Amino acid sequence: MNVIKRMTVTRSIAALFAVLAVLLSPSMATAQDSDVALRQAIAGLGAEKGYARLREAINVVAQTGDPRAARVLGALTEGDVYRRADDGAVVIVSGRGQQLTLHDPVTGEAIGTAPKSALDKVRVNNSVRRSVRAALGGLTLAAGDPDIRMTAARTLIATPDPDSLAAIEKAISDEEDDAVRDALENARAGAILFSGADPETRIAAIETIRNMGGQQALSLLARMPASPDQGVLQAAEDAAASVQKRLQYWGLGQNIWYGVSLGSVLLLAAIGLAITFGVMGVINMAHGEMVMLGAYTTFTVQEVMRTSFPGLLDWSLPIALPLAFLVAGSVGFALERGVIRFLYGRPLETLLATWGVSLVLQQSVRTLFGPSNREVSNPSFMSGAFQLGEISVTWNRLYIVVFALVVFAVLLYAINRTSLGLRMRAVTQNRRMAAAMGIRTPWVDALTFALGSGIAGIAGVALSQIDNVSPNLGQGYIIDSFMVVVFGGVGNLWGTLIAALSLGVANKFLEPFAGAVLGKILVLVFIILFIQRRPRGLFALKGRAVDA
Amino acid sequence: MITGYFLRQGLNRWIIASLVVILAIGILVPAANLLLPAGHPLHVPSYIVALFGKYLCYALLALSLDLVWGYVGILSLGHGAFFALGGYAMGMYLMRQIGTRGVYGDPTLPDFMVFLNWKELPWFWSGFDQFWFAAIMVMLAPGLLAFVFGWFAFRSRVTGVYLSIITQAMTYALMLAFFRNDMGFGGNNGLTDFKDILGYSIQSDQTRAALFLSSAVALALGVLLVGALGASRYGKLMVAVRDAEDRTRFLGYRPEFVKLFAFTASAVMAGIAGALYVPQVGIINPGEFAPANSIEIVIWTAVGGRGTIIGPIIGAILVNAGKSAFTGLFPEYWLFALGALFIAVTLFLPKGIVGTAMHGWDALQRLRAARRHEEGRHDGPAASQPEAAE
Amino acid sequence: MNHIARTFGFIALGAALTATSAMTPASAQEDTIKVGILHSLSGTMAISETTLKDAMLMLIEAQNEKGGLLGKKLEAVVVDPASDWPLFAEKARQLIEQDEVAAVFGCWTSVSRKSVLPVFSELNSILFYPVQYEGEESERNVFYTGAAPNQQAIPAVDYLMNEEGVERWVLEGTDYVYPRTTNKILEQYLLDKGVAAEDIIVNYTPFGFSDWQTEVARIKEFGSAGKKTAVVSTVNGDANVPFYKELANQGIKAEDIPVVAFSVGEEELAGIDTGPLVGHLAAWNYFQSVETEANASFIEEWHAFTGDEARVTNDPMEAHYIGFNMWIKAAEAAGTTDPDAVIAALPGIEVPNLTGGISKMLPNHHITKPVLIGEIQEDGQFEVVSETDDLVPGDAWSDFLPESKKLKSDWVDLKCGNYDTEAEKCIAETAMAEPATEAAKSN
Repeated sequence: MNVIKRMTVTRSIAALFAVLAVLLSPSMATAQDSDVALRQAIAGLGAEKGYARLREAINVVAQTGDPRAARVLGALTEGDVYRRADDGAVVIVSGRGQQLTLHDPVTGEAIGTAPKSALDKVRVNNSVRRSVRAALGGLTLAAGDPDIRMTAARTLIATPDPDSLAAIEKAISDEEDDAVRDALENARAGAILFSGADPETRIAAIETIRNMGGQQALSLLARMPASPDQGVLQAAEDAAASVQKRLQYWGLGQNIWYGVSLGSVLLLAAIGLAITFGVMGVINMAHGEMVMLGAYTTFTVQEVMRTSFPGLLDWSLPIALPLAFLVAGSVGFALERGVIRFLYGRPLETLLATWGVSLVLQQSVRTLFGPSNREVSNPSFMSGAFQLGEISVTWNRLYIVVFALVVFAVLLYAINRTSLGLRMRAVTQNRRMAAAMGIRTPWVDALTFALGSGIAGIAGVALSQIDNVSPNLGQGYIIDSFMVVVFGGVGNLWGTLIAALSLGVANKFLEPFAGAVLGKILVLVFIILFIQRRPRGLFALKGRAVDA
Repeated sequence: MITGYFLRQGLNRWIIASLVVILAIGILVPAANLLLPAGHPLHVPSYIVALFGKYLCYALLALSLDLVWGYVGILSLGHGAFFALGGYAMGMYLMRQIGTRGVYGDPTLPDFMVFLNWKELPWFWSGFDQFWFAAIMVMLAPGLLAFVFGWFAFRSRVTGVYLSIITQAMTYALMLAFFRNDMGFGGNNGLTDFKDILGYSIQSDQTRAALFLSSAVALALGVLLVGALGASRYGKLMVAVRDAEDRTRFLGYRPEFVKLFAFTASAVMAGIAGALYVPQVGIINPGEFAPANSIEIVIWTAVGGRGTIIGPIIGAILVNAGKSAFTGLFPEYWLFALGALFIAVTLFLPKGIVGTAMHGWDALQRLRAARRHEEGRHDGPAASQPEAAE
Repeated sequence: MNHIARTFGFIALGAALTATSAMTPASAQEDTIKVGILHSLSGTMAISETTLKDAMLMLIEAQNEKGGLLGKKLEAVVVDPASDWPLFAEKARQLIEQDEVAAVFGCWTSVSRKSVLPVFSELNSILFYPVQYEGEESERNVFYTGAAPNQQAIPAVDYLMNEEGVERWVLEGTDYVYPRTTNKILEQYLLDKGVAAEDIIVNYTPFGFSDWQTEVARIKEFGSAGKKTAVVSTVNGDANVPFYKELANQGIKAEDIPVVAFSVGEEELAGIDTGPLVGHLAAWNYFQSVETEANASFIEEWHAFTGDEARVTNDPMEAHYIGFNMWIKAAEAAGTTDPDAVIAALPGIEVPNLTGGISKMLPNHHITKPVLIGEIQEDGQFEVVSETDDLVPGDAWSDFLPESKKLKSDWVDLKCGNYDTEAEKCIAETAMAEPATEAAKSN
């Protein structure tokens, strides 16, 4: 997949080189001269030591204007360019292991093999990669793929250069895609800001930048060279102020979004506890470990996928969901049957037993999977971000918010609309009466606990996407989960939802001012004070049995 | 009724016996360490003195929790906070005693302030160069926190798990606060590198022996206090609040004041335990505020037996001795043993070790009494069933 | 039912009591030299420290195959301080006093080291501390085989400045003493280099922080000001995974805003999908990818010992490798494992490290090490992009902190860990003389 991608890129770059070489460099050498020149330039890649020299050598290669240079430069950023130890020749290498296949850097033809030890890698770092990108960057404006053109246009916006105005204008007139054309217009405006254009043109450009908005616009306006013209200065100031104002509104939106996203994580972590603790009254200290079990299930599924069915790797999360529910649910079931059922009516003692269980579970996972973090990768559909105005919304957070709400809705349905839910409510509200009506209360208890644990397990699947998968995973969430359930009101699912979201948002609004630590402390103090005002949480259960 | 009578009779005897045992340990252990030569079979190595000194502090801490949980029914999941506050007050005194012996040789500023470029001592550090001030703060800081916290919480009738969870929130918030380096308590590293206390080197065996004895005396006083409270009319009130808070209120009592008093007294006890703990282990850091630590205290108390006086003491010593032993013996598997112990105790010894033992003792007494009764009447074989008495 | 339960209970209790009374471990056969290993095997630090315990066991086993030390076999004594700092002190005391170990290899966090320091000086034993740390310390009984700030942080910043042309800096760290001190040093260093104060932001987050949205957004915003920006991360262990995940998802590429980390090594990367992180940097004194013969055989040995080809090696493991070999060599030179003799013999000892150089124990109890800057690769390894020409000697007292500038440590000639070069006296010694007057004053 990587190779294919690279090949398309390389091919399009090569095509561009051809087009632009004709456009921009009127004096083009003959093919044979250029072949010698290119080989000489490429030899420079292997000869020099130090990144600064390497960057110069890259520029030399790019300046030959030969479209075939794209091949070796592309390979360089991938770390595939080596120097042969005996004669110092620069080669492109493919294959893995000890014996590598060598390719000619200009033609790409295979020219034999060599052991790894006979080759020195041409080391690249970020600055070298940037040089290559810059060397190829302007040329990609005419790429066939609009995404590549878009990226090129964005790069141009970020690094305005008056010298590229001609190329940008040419590209604008050729451009068919509206979005890319807009971006190019912005790039042109940016370039104009930094050029010696007349005041009217610059004011018009400032207007364009102002409409573009965002942090980047602000930084362009701040960096643009001072102009002697009063009108330009005034326009720039106004534009900066208006961009700033818009950014503030977006900042508010961003905080809300971050808060909702944090809240959804809290909701996921707490929602299983809302069943085991909230509904059943078990002070379930092993709740965090159920979340951890879910996360480790995800890890295991992904490992199996990686080794046995690499094509299905992106499906590992959907597959892990039911498995995590089953794993955590059955551990919860066993826990209820084995320990907790002896402790009903002694809620505080469930704390001790489940604490013991949590120690055992943690150490089991540590023994089984090792103490270090385990890698759970984001599937491709959950990677990256998209831009919503000035907010960059990451896909994994968005999925988690949606997922949390779905889990909540399903749970609500299960409790209020299914027969198991009916029995659950009957048993928790009046055990004896429920038993008298013929409900097998022990069975319902076990299933309820298994349900709560299972939900915690699928929360673990989601949390594995944003947090460590380690034996300590559960410990990090247990206190927050209890806070959420208690703040929302024990035994009330809606309370848990509102509590999670409001605590998340409050946290995120405090964070920019107070810092992450103080923000969290303030939230805790708020919870303590709030409980004084409403000793049974946000949504207290009403009824005579409350003081039981 | 009968059970209660036996329990009371038993308790008094238990208290006196345990006082004697605690004080005897307090004197004999350091004596065996100091007076006997190293090769003597009864010689106690300094390592054991330090270790058991720590356990005594834990025992006092567990006893303080027992006062609120066992007698008044308040399950505090934040008692570690009071312990740590007392520890910090003592730690601040010990830091000030270092004087110019810190690595930078600064006469007033502790090392961590020097390398964070602090220029002067924050206001809340003043006074801690005096032992009496620190000694007052050891009790005042946790006491005041407990009083203010309790004042609000008990008056608004926060009870049960809600109370437990907000005490947990309290200690968690304090932990985060003390982790902050900007707070001026040394951040994550806490306070360490103590040199001496009241002019005596903290590393000498004599000082250690004195600290051990002080811990034993403090524990004995704690036992006496809890015992006296438990036997008094006030103790009955406490138990009444525990068992039926509303009924007590309807009878005209003010349960919130009973709770407030117990909570504050208990916090002061925890603070003293912390203050004795710090010079013996040589470090106090925000980790002591961790909610997990507070939960552990609850576990010691439960293992030993809540609502009894020696239960928490035995529980604290037993669990911690087990922890010390297991972490050395099977470092990879000790958490399994510890976890299994907690599960087993809750399942099989719901009243804790001491509670169950007392229960057994009680049953035995009744069995004997019944037998005497039977013998006196029929002269026949006793067919009593101890279980039936339940 | 109840009856059975109670019986079971008594059995469980009895078992617990028996185990407790068996506190003294079965006395091992005579004629071994015991080596203490003091690394957390449970709790929050187990993630990092368990590997070091395994590494030590491997080194000891290998040494025994070579014939042990001074004609005796080595015996490892492993304890679990459970990431609990007071327990570290207790376990250290147990190792030295009860198990009578000749030296201890252990600790990871600064607080655990601070917690055991008094024990080691009181009982006069030796601790080898293998982790990069904030410096500002030099104890007679401790040998620091990890990096001091000048062996890690400053070369990394130099690299970013010279090679990447970075002008704007975000110093992002977890709120504890190592990041605080490192950032203080770096801030001063950057200001000295002419970086404007408004081009530096310092931010701290708590331990185990997992919601990095706001922080990463802020870094992004700070980096969009047109000047080349880099993040210097002293974020601790657990918080790194969510941090890097958020960086990747918000699209911060190494080519735009590189992140150089001082606490992220191969072991930490094993828990992260490194695909989106390629090009981000780390500064260490060792990378598994270093191609030397010594390293290749070390890795091979490690894989054989653990029976797992996927286990990675990392910098603190190399520190233990160096420290252990230094201890062996010093004990052989001294002809005894007596702490005083070994402490006296250690400075000046030279052993090969795994990166092709020879590390030397300095009089200040720190060692010389090369500084390597590596870029994260797709396979979770680092590609070395820069390497100091010579080994850098560890500096206990930073020259960039006003109070420690004047201090010097030399345990060979000056016999002092904090010698005041201005007043020309040893602070520890002058203080020793003073307590009498102090005590008089307080009375």
